Amino acid sequence: MLHSILGAVLLSVGMVAPLDTSDFHLSEVTVTATHRHVNPISSQTSITVESDRLNQQVPTSLAKGLDAIAGVQASSIGSGQSRPAVRGMGFNRLAIMHDGIRHEGQQWGDDHGLEIDRFAVDHIEIVKGASALLYGSDAIGGVLLLSSGAKPQNAFSGKACVFARSNNMLFGASALLNGKKEMPAGGTFYWRANATYQDYADYSVPADSFEYYSYRIPLYKRTLRNTAGREADASLVLGYTTYHWHSCIRIYETWAQSGFFANAHGLEVRLSDIDYDRSRRDIDLPCQEVNHLKVLWHSAFSHDNWGIEVNAAWQHNLRREESEPVSHGYMPTPPDALERQFSKHTASLQTAAKWNVATHHTLRLGLQSELQHNRRSGWGFIIPDFEQYSLGLYAGEEWRVNNRWTLDAGVRYDYAHMHIRSYQDWYVTPVGDTTVYKTRSAETMRDFHSFTWSLGMRYQADGWLVRANIGKAFRTPIAKELGADGINYHIFRYEAGNSALQPEESYQADVSVAWENRFVHVQVDPFVGYFPNYIYLNPTAEYREGLQLYQYNQSRVIRAGGEVMLTVRPWTHLDINLQGEYLFARQLSGDKAGYGLPFSPPWRLMPELKFHWDPIVNRQSSNRKWNGYAAVNVRICGAQYDIVPPEKPTDGWWTFNLSVGQRFELTKCAMNISLQADNILNTKYYDHTSYYRLIDIPEAGWNLSAMLSVEF
Amino acid sequence: MKKYLFMSLFVVSATAMTVALHSCNEQKDLTPPTISEADFLPADCDIYYLEDTIYVHFVCEDDAELGNYNIEIHNNFDHHTHGTSSVDCDEEQHEHGNVEKAWVYNQDFVIARGLKCDTVIQKIPVPADAAEGDYHFMLRLTDRAGWQTLKAVAIHLHKP
Repeated sequence: MLHSILGAVLLSVGMVAPLDTSDFHLSEVTVTATHRHVNPISSQTSITVESDRLNQQVPTSLAKGLDAIAGVQASSIGSGQSRPAVRGMGFNRLAIMHDGIRHEGQQWGDDHGLEIDRFAVDHIEIVKGASALLYGSDAIGGVLLLSSGAKPQNAFSGKACVFARSNNMLFGASALLNGKKEMPAGGTFYWRANATYQDYADYSVPADSFEYYSYRIPLYKRTLRNTAGREADASLVLGYTTYHWHSCIRIYETWAQSGFFANAHGLEVRLSDIDYDRSRRDIDLPCQEVNHLKVLWHSAFSHDNWGIEVNAAWQHNLRREESEPVSHGYMPTPPDALERQFSKHTASLQTAAKWNVATHHTLRLGLQSELQHNRRSGWGFIIPDFEQYSLGLYAGEEWRVNNRWTLDAGVRYDYAHMHIRSYQDWYVTPVGDTTVYKTRSAETMRDFHSFTWSLGMRYQADGWLVRANIGKAFRTPIAKELGADGINYHIFRYEAGNSALQPEESYQADVSVAWENRFVHVQVDPFVGYFPNYIYLNPTAEYREGLQLYQYNQSRVIRAGGEVMLTVRPWTHLDINLQGEYLFARQLSGDKAGYGLPFSPPWRLMPELKFHWDPIVNRQSSNRKWNGYAAVNVRICGAQYDIVPPEKPTDGWWTFNLSVGQRFELTKCAMNISLQADNILNTKYYDHTSYYRLIDIPEAGWNLSAMLSVEF
Repeated sequence: MKKYLFMSLFVVSATAMTVALHSCNEQKDLTPPTISEADFLPADCDIYYLEDTIYVHFVCEDDAELGNYNIEIHNNFDHHTHGTSSVDCDEEQHEHGNVEKAWVYNQDFVIARGLKCDTVIQKIPVPADAAEGDYHFMLRLTDRAGWQTLKAVAIHLHKP
């Protein structure tokens, strides 16, 4: 049995089966100190979020459900959506691995969400800190490991849920069916199907108007015009597993459509003929539509002391952004509303092998390759067409010195080739006495080589768990950083790429010290990181084509900070939790030497009291009948005065939140009800990491959300 | 052995703190430049005739160092508004001018390095073939650190 589990989990992120867990309740989500002998490296600080806990919440997005964890932030990007960040690093500095394959959307965009159905995700693991060794480029700030489609336990089972949120009048439903069948040959065939739909209206904020470049714009009924949206997702998993072999095909489809806040699409406040205030649920221009299809094939074979795994995937991300055709500068009125469209195909192939060389030594080897093909269209230019090929090879060794100590080391080599296509404006611009079709992107070919390494240790005994890791990580510059050259109409600035950029590198040391007994769990996770060439979009004093020039360049950056987590259980019915985080960043060279980094999260403190009706005997909450809880928590966030242009200083804030949940075990099914009230005092506050902070839009006001689910 | 762990933890934390404290002492420009409202030309709702000259005059200041500025004139035939004091001149009939022939003026200007205060005077000739109607005069000003201040003024073009 153990072998078949090993086979399934072997070096796979997709197939998660913790071999040894010592978990501990923390906040809304269970924070688990997982030490698998497989991914991620056991010396790395990681946090596991179980789906039970995740599903107690009714967040608007996957990311929003994670920001109750110290060290994880969810940056609002408008339309009630948000993006995850780990220790302040998001976008292309956070690798998102979905079932072992890197999720590839248009992650460069400030207002692009994550195209993943959160109801299809069973298990989330967050690696805090750089982890380039196993995940390559982008894992410079951390890794989000999402896995869906764990092998079902029963011959046939399912789950259905309905949910609603008051703030943006969201309602949605999700259903999951799965089953397995033992085959005569000895293997097991399994399947899983999932579908989710949600629809939401414009979201409301505790403000009647907002100030925008000293101009007051009234908000009709305290809602942000045109932030409504809808989302439909479906997935199918078919798998076959035997004692030594596991193979499956997974298909995920995500479709989402939402409006862009009408008064904030670009710095120009246009008076449009569109009657935005007609309905809260309609989607007018400007709007976006995203379709993401992912097909994945996974196979793993394991033997007594070795195993091999192959993952192959194809993804297609189609994003359309529409806005009213309006002339600007030398650009005449465009013929249609299609401002930009991106069609990106990504093919990935990964293999990994694990070999127990000797009793206490395990060697792992891996190869990861990826091919990207991106094509744009529409009248607005922001990133050029490109093709990108990358290849990574790694080798790592883990030495279990004794039952307390484990040491690990690894090296990795990466090669990336980027081919950026040229692009000319579709309209002419006068230059001197003539007019020209300006070249926005020049044909560019770049090759990148990166060599990274890591060293780690882990100590576990007598209630202590200490992990320490030091290593080098990297990130290949993306097409926008290399080849952007034009006006970003979203924020009305001129963005110039830099084709001479080198791969961004970082050296990071992080430590995690945890201690627990029956009553107390305390954990401290400090880190320090140094970037010799952080890629930074620098606002300059120059103008280009009438707009302020923002130019990509590289500077030395130091970052430090950490998280503290404390849980006290004075009584078996009660948990007292306290989490805190702090982050510091400083640019040491370049034009902005002495400044921090944009969107730096300020310190946060999250105390919580959680009362369980049943005494907490073990943490398998699903085994308990009639289990319920009530929790009250406060989120306290510090002020952020460490700003860079064009940011504004943000004052500190706190919100008061309540949640209750109850599980009913019936003869043939189980029912879960959860209710959550956020920002009960309807506090008006600004989140420094929010995309809308720059234009003075406060965060959402009070919100009540409810979810009812039935498992059978 | 545990001792070494805590030693290393201490070293990491201490390094972080030292860097934090060391870096906080640096002087940074944290405020955008300012444009003086007094004597600002053109004034809101000013009327210009084709082949006229628009006289631009303003005083700008920054606590560290001024950057550059840009002047852009674009049509307001669809009657949009800008974030800074740009009014809709009610006394003017909203004329939907000919967008095809609308005048586009967009010029970047350089302020000499090292100035904290500058008085700007520019002359912008209105072309003879410009379409009549409402226009916006936009002034954008940066400082050396990259902060930006905007100012928009509504003007009107007429045939002589």
